[in-house]
Parts: sequence; structure tokens; C-alpha cells
Amino acid sequence: MIYFTELDRTPVFDAKGELLGHLSDMVVDASRDPLQVSAYLIETPQKDVLSLTHEQVQAISIQQIQTGVPTGSVRPYAPDEGLLHVRKDILDQQIIDVNNRKVVRVNDVDFDIQPTNGRTALRILAVNVGMAGIVRRLFQGVVAKRMLRFFASLFPVRTIPWEFVNLIESDPARRVKLRISFDRLARLHPADLADIIEELGRDEQKAVIESLDDETAAHALSEVPSELQTALLESIPTEKAADIVEEMPPDEAADVLQKLEPETSAEVLADMGKEEASEVRELLGFEERTAGGLMSTEFVFVGEKAQVEGAIEALRNFEGELEAIHFVYLIGDSTALTGSVPLARILLADPKTELRDLAIKPVISVEANADKAEVVELFHKYNLLTLPVVDDQGRLLGMVTADDVLEVVLDRK
Amino acid sequence: MKLLKSPRLRRLRFNLVIFMAVIGPGIITANVDNDAGGILTYSQAGAQFGFSLLWTLIPITVALIVVQEMVARMGVVTGKGLADLIREEFGLRATFILMTLLLIVDFGNTVSEFAGLASGMGVLGVSRYLAVPAGAFVVWALVVRGTYRLVEKVFLIACVFYIAYPISCYLAHPDWTAALVKTIKPSVQFNSEYFVMVLGLIGTTIAPWMQFYLQSAVVEKGIKVKNYVLSKWDVIIGCILTDVVAFFIVVACAATVYASGYGKIKTAGDAALALRPLAGPAASWLFAFGLVNASLFSASILPLATAYYVCEGLGFESGINKRFNEAPAFYWLYTSLIVLGALTVIVLNESKQVPVILMSQVANGILLPFVLIFMLRLINRKDLMGEYCNTKTFNSIAWATCGIIIALTAMSAVANFLPGRIPIAGFLHWLRWR
Repeated sequence: MIYFTELDRTPVFDAKGELLGHLSDMVVDASRDPLQVSAYLIETPQKDVLSLTHEQVQAISIQQIQTGVPTGSVRPYAPDEGLLHVRKDILDQQIIDVNNRKVVRVNDVDFDIQPTNGRTALRILAVNVGMAGIVRRLFQGVVAKRMLRFFASLFPVRTIPWEFVNLIESDPARRVKLRISFDRLARLHPADLADIIEELGRDEQKAVIESLDDETAAHALSEVPSELQTALLESIPTEKAADIVEEMPPDEAADVLQKLEPETSAEVLADMGKEEASEVRELLGFEERTAGGLMSTEFVFVGEKAQVEGAIEALRNFEGELEAIHFVYLIGDSTALTGSVPLARILLADPKTELRDLAIKPVISVEANADKAEVVELFHKYNLLTLPVVDDQGRLLGMVTADDVLEVVLDRK
Repeated sequence: MKLLKSPRLRRLRFNLVIFMAVIGPGIITANVDNDAGGILTYSQAGAQFGFSLLWTLIPITVALIVVQEMVARMGVVTGKGLADLIREEFGLRATFILMTLLLIVDFGNTVSEFAGLASGMGVLGVSRYLAVPAGAFVVWALVVRGTYRLVEKVFLIACVFYIAYPISCYLAHPDWTAALVKTIKPSVQFNSEYFVMVLGLIGTTIAPWMQFYLQSAVVEKGIKVKNYVLSKWDVIIGCILTDVVAFFIVVACAATVYASGYGKIKTAGDAALALRPLAGPAASWLFAFGLVNASLFSASILPLATAYYVCEGLGFESGINKRFNEAPAFYWLYTSLIVLGALTVIVLNESKQVPVILMSQVANGILLPFVLIFMLRLINRKDLMGEYCNTKTFNSIAWATCGIIIALTAMSAVANFLPGRIPIAGFLHWLRWR
């Protein structure tokens, strides 16, 4: 194993044993082999930069790099954005450690030396993020390399295997050339993904959000602080923002839109699907600090005369997030809330049972313009998971879920 | 439906929310700048030279605005802290050296905050053996136990308490007309003491750590590029407020200590005591209260900011929202800065604290040029800042400002090392007769 730091500024000799220059960077061509170093950039004493292909390299050690070709056959380096540069793109930059779900800064890069019939190839093994890498960087060129190896080994080593490294490139065109994708991020838990996004710079945040599918982006966005939420949504094209907001639960979507600049918020609403937009619009009419501002309009309800099979039918046809549903609400004429039936009771009851007989009594609900504090109190007093919200005529408007209440409580602290 | 809000109301409220979401970092940073060391320097300036240094406050304010505006802009545009940017552009070694120096400087500054706390509490009749440990604990607990929002609120309230200085100044019955005239009309004295005091004023106002703190605070707030104009005003208002407070401190001391011929003062507490015979106990009490507030305020931000950017630059995990075992380096740094800073003030007597504080100011001066040059190079990078790079005009102003600051702080560092400051006096003498 060999580290980039050890190779940095190492002398390079040509076939005749004359000094060609010093190594200044290494390049990986992802279109050929995403792991292998394809070329070595060499700074000559005249400050020109040459590109030594990996076929031209005979041997690599921490003391020197030996080429098998005469000086004349090494070409000058033509800058190419499509290549991954170890120093420029990896060293000192932030990367995402997909395995540990963290954003970390790279101190050094580890390579594997593979000598094969008269040539030597380097393959990227891992990035170094621990103290040992820092020590190596600090003392490189000051202490002899062998001494430094020993000295650095006294410090804790922390590496991230290359397969778990996700580089962050904000330019989409370059991302394609370098074969960087954020696919693996989509598999993380949205809350972890949100933590990662928070750690990144502005352009990188935008790049990650834009490249995620709408649903994942919506989930992740729901978990980031509201300032960042709005900043990100305003930075991406309106259509994409609309697609993402559409995927959010209506109450979250309304919260987000409320915090966007009014013009932007109107544009996003106009770009959203009709049904989703109208749901969100309804919610936007409520004051933020009221029960109405907290509630979601995704809930399951049936007529009060329905039976258990009717409730099951309604659940089957429900299009929102089923995880949030704990009750089926009963409504009478003029959509007034008349009862709430816990899912567990429906599950155990005979299909022909009247839902009215399964409802818990008395019906606990809150008026839409009641203060948030009252909602919290009701949840606490009655140990609720969800709470139906009604208007001043007792008509069912939506429901507040425990996670929203938790946020109110945490916010107050 | 009565629940529906009118669009106008919504717009108004939205603007208010945006305002609150953006305002803060600039004002807080600038106020922290009026810390114990700052108050001491302003008091000395007034006590030794009366109103004759007041005019320097205006150019100092301009320089402060120029520098602070740049970091705020970098924070808004890149969404990254200054330490992050320096690491990415200039590599680990430069970052490490910079961070080590900053750590030393900030430790010295932390000591001077606790010294200020001890000195202010002394005037209020509280023993430093009680005040310093209690203060250190409050500061530590506020940050470790509190949330970012709470901390920011407490900080903004602390900003309000700076009102103690204008009131105490008013009680000192200064000659307002003379003070205002001297603020607008420069009057230069050609002697080395005057010159060194000018350097001290600049040094205490523009500090390296502020640049890091402000940029991180702007990033933390998630301020959008679109709202940058508001952020700019946050910075400008903050800088002006800082120097308005400085003005009142100078004037208060000029009207009392200088007028009575009392002369030099060694600690900021001395200044508070010196106010008593002439401006009454209330003025003295307020002055000391202001000092305690400023010291506590800065003592809570400085170690925190230091821990933040040292970890940021070296790639350690940081943040008060992380648990101790998630970000050990961050918490160790933060806690040791406070504990060691407080211990230094408790254990060492006043005469021995002075070299520590002095050394940190010299290091401040050595460090500032590097930070400024790094900043200017970063802000002119097109790939980083895009259309928000410095314009040519702004660049020349910024480079000139930085050039002057660098030259002056370098001279100040030299002056601090040379006993008697003869070369500068000789140089000024020579200048005058040419």
C-alpha cells in the first residue's frame, strides 16, 4: 500500500535515469477503469506539466517513480474535465461516507501497488480520514519518508473503502463523465440523508437534491430545517420544486409553501398536480399556530352507517401514506364528525359489524382555529396518536398526527 | 372563512419572517467585537487622549464593514465556512498552521474575557474566585445544554445591554459638541504613544476569529443569495453599532478620567472606578455591568467559534447538536478553552495575566494579514463566487483596506516588541520635518 502524500513531489526518472520532473497529481479515467490510475502528472523543472500514462510506468516506490520510456515520448498534459484528479477532486474535499452515513473530509488517498510483468499499476483502495493521514500530510517533506511511515503508524488510522465513497460533484455534466451517481444516497434513511445534505455547501446541496428522485427528495427535504428547505426549493427549477412538493404529505407541503416567497410559492402551486394543489391550498388558509395549520388532509373516513367491510374498502382506496392512519373517522350528514374507530378494532371485528358500535366514546376533536398549545394538551391528556380537526360546525377537516405535535413540543424548548 | 389571511398581511408577515431569519449574525459578531479587550482599549484611548482619537472611529468602521461584508457574502454564496474554503483551496498544512495560531490567539482572548469578567465583577463587589468559575459554568452550560435558537436569542439580548455605555456616558456629562466635532475633524498628534493607541484601536476592532465566526453564522442561518441584501445591512448596522458603543466609551472616559488628569488605566475595571468621583456611582456601576455583559457574551462565543472552525478546517466532527461521543474533538476543545481560560485568571494574578493577553494581541496582528489575504484570494475565484466576485472597484478598496490594516498591525506588532518604541517616534519625527 502507498499513500498519495508519499508519492506527491516524488522524483520521476526516464529510461536513461535522468530526472523528468516531480509528480504533481494522478488521474483516473472513469470511462476506462474507475479504480486504476490512468496517468501521472509530472511537473518538469521548467514548470511544464507532462502526462505519463500508466503503461509508461515501470516501478513505483516511495522514493522514486521509474519510467521505461525516453523523455521525448512523454506527452504534455492537456487539461481534461472528464478525468478525476486525485489532488484536485479528492484530497481535502468533502466526500460522503455512504456506509457510515456521514460527510467527511479527505486527508489522504490509499493506493494498492500492483506490479505486473515489467509494469506497475496503482489502484485506489480507500480514502484516509483519520489522524494518521493528517500527520502524514503535515510532516511530509519535513521528515524522511520511512521515518514518517513509522511515526504516522502511531496515530489512529481511519479509512473509508473506495466502494463506500461517494464523491460530490456539483456540475451534472462532469458528474456523468466521472461516473458519479447519487443512487446509493437514495437508499439511505431520509433522516440520515437530510443530515448529510445539511453538512454540504450550497452548490453540492442543490446537486444532490436535483439528482434524487422526487419521492426521496421529498422525504429528505421534510427532515431538514425549514430555512434550508426553502433555500433549496428556491434554488432549483420551479417544475422540479413542484414535483418534490407534490410528493410531500399535504401538511408538510403547506408548511413549506408558507415559508417560500409568496411569488415562488404561487408558481410552485401552479405547477403542481390539480388535486394535490387544491389540498395544499385549503391548508394554506389556516394560521400556522393553530390546529388547522398543523393538520394533514390525508385521512380515511366513511359514512356513519357503514360497516367494517366499508371501512376496509375505504382503506384499500386510500392514496395517502397508510403509516399515518390509526383511525377511520365516521361522518354524518353535512360531513360532521360523529365517531372515530381504531384500526385494531376494525381488524378484529366481523365484516358485517356496524362501525358505530366500534367507535370510541366520547369523540375527541379540536376546532381548526384552536391554538397549537391546546392540541398538545389534548394529545398529552388523552394519550393520542392522531386527533381529528373540525370546523366551527363540527365538520371534519383533517387530522393532526403525533409527529407534528412532537415537533411543536421540541420547537418550544 | 375568517381563518383565511389577506395576501397583504401574508406578504408583510413573510417579510418580517425573512428579516428575522437573516438578521443576527452581523449584529452579534460586531457586538462580540466590543469585548473586554475592546472596552479596555477604548477606555484607554479616551483616558489618555481625550476626544482626539474619536475621528479614527469612522475609517475603522468603514474598514470593518468592507472586511465583514466580504465574509458574509462568501458564506451566503458558497454555503461553506471560511475554514472549509481555506482547507479546500490551500490544503491541509496551511490550514493546520492557521488553525494552531488561531487557537493560541483565541486562548489569549478567552483569558482576557475572563479577566474582564473578574475586573467588572470586582467593581460590583463580587470576588473573582466566585465570579469567574460561575461565569465559566454559565457560558459552558448555555452552549452545551441550550439550542441554537435559544443561544441566539440570549446573544441578541446581550447586544441590548450595551445600552449601559451610552447611559453611563450621558451621566458623565461630556461636552457633546466638542466630542462630535472631534469625531468628524481629524486631529493627529505626532508622538509614538498616540500612534500605538491608533494601532490598538484597529487591532481590537478587526480580529481574525470574527471572520470565521461571521461566515459560519451566516451559513448556519441558511441565508439565501436572494436575501443577501438584508444580510449586508445586518453587517453594516452591526459594524456601525459597535463603533457607536466605542464612541460612548471613549467619550465617557475622556470626559472623566482624561479631564481630571487621572491618566492611564490598566484594566477596564479601573475605568469603571475612575468614573465614580465625577459621574457618580450609577455611571460607574453601569460601566462595570456593561463590561461584565460584554465579557460573558464574548466568552461564550469565542471558545465556541474557535472549536467550530478548528474542527471544520481539520475535518473533525463539530456542532452543538452532536453528542459528546460523536464530536469528541469539538467538545474537548471547547471545554478546555473555557476551563483553562478561567483557571488562568483565577490562578495568575493580574500582573501575570497581562503578558498572556498582550501576546495574544501580537499574535492577532501576525495572523490577520494571512486571513485577509486568504479571504481576498477566495472571494476573487470565479468558480467559487460566480457573479458575486469582488468588482474591480471593490477589490481596490478591499486590497487597500487590507494593505493598510496589514501595514499597521505589522507596525503594532513591532512596536509591542520594542521597549520604548523609539524607532517609531524617531520615524514620525523624521516624517514631520520633511
